Amino acid sequence: MNEMKKTAITLNVNNEIFDIVTFPNQTLLEVLRDHLHLTGTKESCGEGACGSCTVLLNGVPVRSCLTLAIAAQGKEITTIEGLSKGEKLHPVQEAFVNHHAIQCGFCSPGMILTAYALLKENPNPTEAEIRRAISGNVCRCTGYAKIVEAIKSLAEEGR
Amino acid sequence: MRLPPFQYLEPTNMEEALSIIGTHKDTVKIMAGGTDLLNRMKLRLIEPAFVMNIGRLRNMDGIDIGDTETVIGSNARLKEIADAPLIHKRFRAIAEAAFQVASPTITNMATVGGNLLQNTRCRYYDQSGMVLNGLERCHKRGGTVCFAVKGSKRCFSVYQGDLAPALIAFDARCVLEKKGSTRTVSITELFTGNGVTPFVMEAEELLTKIILPNPEGIYSSAYRKLRLRGSIDYPLASAAVFISVKNGRKFTPCRVVIGATGAAPRVIDGESYEADMEGIAKKAYDHAEGVDNLLMPGAYRRKMVSVVVKRAIQAALDGIKEGM
Repeated sequence: MNEMKKTAITLNVNNEIFDIVTFPNQTLLEVLRDHLHLTGTKESCGEGACGSCTVLLNGVPVRSCLTLAIAAQGKEITTIEGLSKGEKLHPVQEAFVNHHAIQCGFCSPGMILTAYALLKENPNPTEAEIRRAISGNVCRCTGYAKIVEAIKSLAEEGR
Repeated sequence: MRLPPFQYLEPTNMEEALSIIGTHKDTVKIMAGGTDLLNRMKLRLIEPAFVMNIGRLRNMDGIDIGDTETVIGSNARLKEIADAPLIHKRFRAIAEAAFQVASPTITNMATVGGNLLQNTRCRYYDQSGMVLNGLERCHKRGGTVCFAVKGSKRCFSVYQGDLAPALIAFDARCVLEKKGSTRTVSITELFTGNGVTPFVMEAEELLTKIILPNPEGIYSSAYRKLRLRGSIDYPLASAAVFISVKNGRKFTPCRVVIGATGAAPRVIDGESYEADMEGIAKKAYDHAEGVDNLLMPGAYRRKMVSVVVKRAIQAALDGIKEGM
């Protein structure tokens, strides 16, 4: 068994600074959920295939299950908890609710963050661009039609 | 799945990075995007004592398009390659390969160097310890048996990188640096052809950049692959094609490189004239290993190699017609 020591790391999560003492082999997903109790970020496959652990690093969607927490230092980390303002949902979250784009909800945090990043980069995406953007986020319930509709509605509204 | 323990190293300059791998050699694994390495570690296929993150080495970033050659830093993200208009215009097969690796959430992280240097795969090897503990050690795990080809004295694991065939189609070279020396190797020569140790790199070497000679005249290229899920899967058969028109001749020299058919991409040269497409597809079929060690049956994958070759040639020919 290899030797390993705990290390102090500093993470900027949802514009808040957290000092954490952890092992270098902890993924960002594990630190978010187990240390910071930000359980909106989900673990499903744990190997980068499903997208339920998606978070934003400097605004870009990445897999937190394949990101070391220690390597995320110095970057702005955004989780689903960082999107809403208190009780007030973000327009992307509202659109998902209004278009019934949520069933079991397990993929929703990752899906919403991916949609949010897409709309930031490209406020008026085509359906093909939406489908490409969310192609790494697997949903077992909705069949994607409602999710695509929700994102499209935001594009049309210019939000 | 949890990661095994390791010590984390994060050099901020090249000198420091080369010194670390010079000291730790085989005991250090290099992490760029992490999408491939961390999965292999989670499966306990590797348990390095040290993990060195090269994400902060700024001189390995970016794309530099010069007059005679284009240099891609090995830390360039695949999404950056897929989205770069000039890569798409001049090296379309490479942009297409980068695009087809996986969904943007993966290609936002994964790098050119990491994609190129990914290990060979086999369904009797890429498994968790729970599965592998019940199996005798195969060649890839330092043993003497092969489960894919019973009685085989060699490893039949498959190289499934998407970028390598496209880079080879453009005659790319890569720069390997170690403390005190640098060498440039063509991507074709980077591969040993041996599934157990697929690359010629030394333990102290770091892949720092890819150099692409800028092609001249009228040319086109394309990359096509077979896979189950468009958002994530490795190629089960792939083909990169480069076609150029010399002196306005109808027959055009053509370089076809097939992937996911053995431990290294294979180059098949031919004429791209439509009538000979079947001939090239036949050659690709003959060069491919059809072994039952990936998601789909070997015989089917082998047949599909000729199909993706024809699709790639057709796409490249269409590209030439568009450009003319």
